[in-house]
Amino acid sequence: MTAAPTETPAVTPPEPAQEPAGRRLVTRLAATPEIGVIATVIVLFLAFSAASDNFAGVSNLQTMGFDLAQYGILALGVSFVILTGGIDLSLGSVVALTAVLSAWLNASAGLPTLPSIGLTLLLAAAIGVVHGLFVTRLGVPPFVTTLITLVAARGAALAITKGFPIDGVSESFTDLNAYRLLLVPVPTVIFIVCCVVAWVFLERTYAGRQLYAVGGNREAARLAGIRTERRIMLAYVVSALCAGLVGVLITSRLSVGQPGVGQGWELTAIAAAVIGGISLSGGAGRVVGVAFGAILLVVINTGLVILHVSPYYQQIVLGLVLAVAVTTDRIRSRRLAGARKAST
Amino acid sequence: MTTDATTVRLTGLRKSYGTTTVLDVPRLDLHGGQIVALVGENGAGKSTLTGILSGIVRPDEGTVEIGGVALRTGDPGHAQQLGAAHVSQEFPLVGQLSVAENLLLGHPPTGTRRVLVDRAAQRRQARALLDRIGATIGTDRLVETLTVPQQQLIEVAKALGRNPRVLVLDEPTSALGPVESAAVLAAARELADAGAVVVFIGHRLDEVREVAQRVLVLRNGRLVADLTPGEATEQRLVRAMVGAELSDLVGEPRTAAQDRNAFTASALTAPGIGPIDLTLRAGEILGVAGLMGSGRSRLLHTVMGAIPRTGGVMTLDDRPYDPGSPADAAAAGVGLVPEDRKHQALLLDDPVRRNVSLAVLPALSVSRFFLSPRRERAFAAEAAQAATVKCTSIEQPVRGLSGGNQQKSVFGRWFAARPRLLLLDEPTRGVDVGAKAGIYRLIEQAAADGMAVLVASSELEELMQLTHRIAVMSHGRLVRTFDRDQFSKEAVMTAATIGAAR
Repeated sequence: MTAAPTETPAVTPPEPAQEPAGRRLVTRLAATPEIGVIATVIVLFLAFSAASDNFAGVSNLQTMGFDLAQYGILALGVSFVILTGGIDLSLGSVVALTAVLSAWLNASAGLPTLPSIGLTLLLAAAIGVVHGLFVTRLGVPPFVTTLITLVAARGAALAITKGFPIDGVSESFTDLNAYRLLLVPVPTVIFIVCCVVAWVFLERTYAGRQLYAVGGNREAARLAGIRTERRIMLAYVVSALCAGLVGVLITSRLSVGQPGVGQGWELTAIAAAVIGGISLSGGAGRVVGVAFGAILLVVINTGLVILHVSPYYQQIVLGLVLAVAVTTDRIRSRRLAGARKAST
Repeated sequence: MTTDATTVRLTGLRKSYGTTTVLDVPRLDLHGGQIVALVGENGAGKSTLTGILSGIVRPDEGTVEIGGVALRTGDPGHAQQLGAAHVSQEFPLVGQLSVAENLLLGHPPTGTRRVLVDRAAQRRQARALLDRIGATIGTDRLVETLTVPQQQLIEVAKALGRNPRVLVLDEPTSALGPVESAAVLAAARELADAGAVVVFIGHRLDEVREVAQRVLVLRNGRLVADLTPGEATEQRLVRAMVGAELSDLVGEPRTAAQDRNAFTASALTAPGIGPIDLTLRAGEILGVAGLMGSGRSRLLHTVMGAIPRTGGVMTLDDRPYDPGSPADAAAAGVGLVPEDRKHQALLLDDPVRRNVSLAVLPALSVSRFFLSPRRERAFAAEAAQAATVKCTSIEQPVRGLSGGNQQKSVFGRWFAARPRLLLLDEPTRGVDVGAKAGIYRLIEQAAADGMAVLVASSELEELMQLTHRIAVMSHGRLVRTFDRDQFSKEAVMTAATIGAAR
């Protein structure tokens, strides 16, 4: 009496399509969206090395390593937010506030190095939590939410210092900047560690995957049972924490708490992320791209300085690079879309 | 303008989307001075017909003449010039502007100052428009602060304010209470008496009979009946809408449901629905029928925790079930295949793999944190196969799949989660016939495996073929439940259309 459907397909273990290893590498390279940035980095690096003997020298590479740590960590942090479809404009000001605060805790309040760094990072995380609450609970657009902090955090940095740098930072604090690991400055090592952690999180944990899903289609993610608000919250905390970390590194590098640092760095960080293929509409982009986007900006900046190009022209060049990156990204995604349409 | 002069003439109209013909009307004259009611099931072609009339939809063939002038079809501006006005079910209002500004949008107050807006004149003219339909809404209120019925009234007032020769009212009273409805219908009556053609789309058959001088019935894009109000008995209308040949289509019996309650809801309420009492047994497929706006989707979303519940108690497998969010629902063993797969279900640019694994990521991860790519691939391949998704590889972006295979991917996502209760909202919308049969098999399989399945659909044939029972919703409530041996299209349609009156 029960005519149960019996034609259930036998579940065989799935076999991912295998291709010859050589062809697979080529097709995979061609399909890697970050290939353009990586190639540009290599080409420019070789060009600058050829144009100037100093460029590839150890001391210049170390300077680039410091710069890379600053912009790279910020770019990684803001990428989390952009992946959810948001934006974080507060980075530069949070860098200034945390730079000043860590110096004040260490020099003026007399806390040892590690507690001052710890407290500073805690404050940064708190700023991220506030951003997350504004965006998820109050529904304030990310642009506006972080614009408030852009203004307020800068003001706080100036208020703490009354506009003057805080000096007297302890030696153990500045050591953070002075040490080298096999010639590689500690901040650069920290950046590399951040990259690895970010990569593992975004590509190899389920929470990271959910972050992409939230940015790709928030309603679909929600209805698929993902706690979208938690993921968004996490992104803002990561972003602010990264800014706090950079603030600490800056104070260590300058050995003073300087309230004027970080002006406009949020834009550099966003530019690095976008050049690296993080889609401003959310849900797409990878850590490799962000890392190389940051490297590209640092290479261009340093190269132009070494070639004695006027700072004004440097900015024009940076703008052009950004324009090229955005245009190729558009063309690429349109081609891909076209190919998809043709294939169906 | 004489009252019986032909004012609208439609000739040889055809419209198809893909291979389905949604409208095929060789000849239709609409006369001034009449309210013409247009009835039919969801998807019968009513909106297409009125859309053509007001220039929103361009027909593949055929002509429209309004007052003897040929309409440039597909040109809403031209239709407006010829005197056509359309009150749709979506309100194209600007929420941040006031009632008065919305009413006179694009038609600045006449005979007043040239550059600056004459607010006094604006208010006065807006007031006059609202008074015509007896609406008491303040002219300075922002439209976004208004309720849906109030917005509906403003839409009607706006359309009437243009003094149209042809007025299309698409379910103008579905959101309104009896008093407002009467006022709107009286205004429509007045306009028709002045010589205009009023086309009225309605679902409440009693209302249709009361207001119209002529009743047209559409079925599958064709005009199947042209009746006077006297001829248009409820029974006759329903039969014309449903089509006698289909009215008793019931397939072979399903796998019997188990004797165990999988899901219950009692006195469930949420914005726009309830109170609703519902019981689903394990292995049972329960259909939810009802007209557009009857609350089918809302019910499903409320059970999923996507719409906050305002009252009532639910249980799942005899345990209290109280979802605060879809995440809670998914954790408790409830899955939802939403109505609009592109906006509510899929990550279009992501591969099939990521789409099918989306709802089970935590369970799939190693030590509840790390994803293993190999494990995910194996899982996704199995899930895609179980849901019979046809794709070149699980790395193919879902955007490139056909509608049917996209939908099966969403099914695959939830089957893999092995929910106790599966909620399906229009599971075969935009899916071709072959894929439809495949999806039905998947649903039957799910029930045979012991899932309780709640299917909301606007296609009655679908529900009659697939389900054990059909619950009919009307105005947010369950008005009647049919067992399989009572299934008949006429009975279900009757309950859905006049359910509120019972």
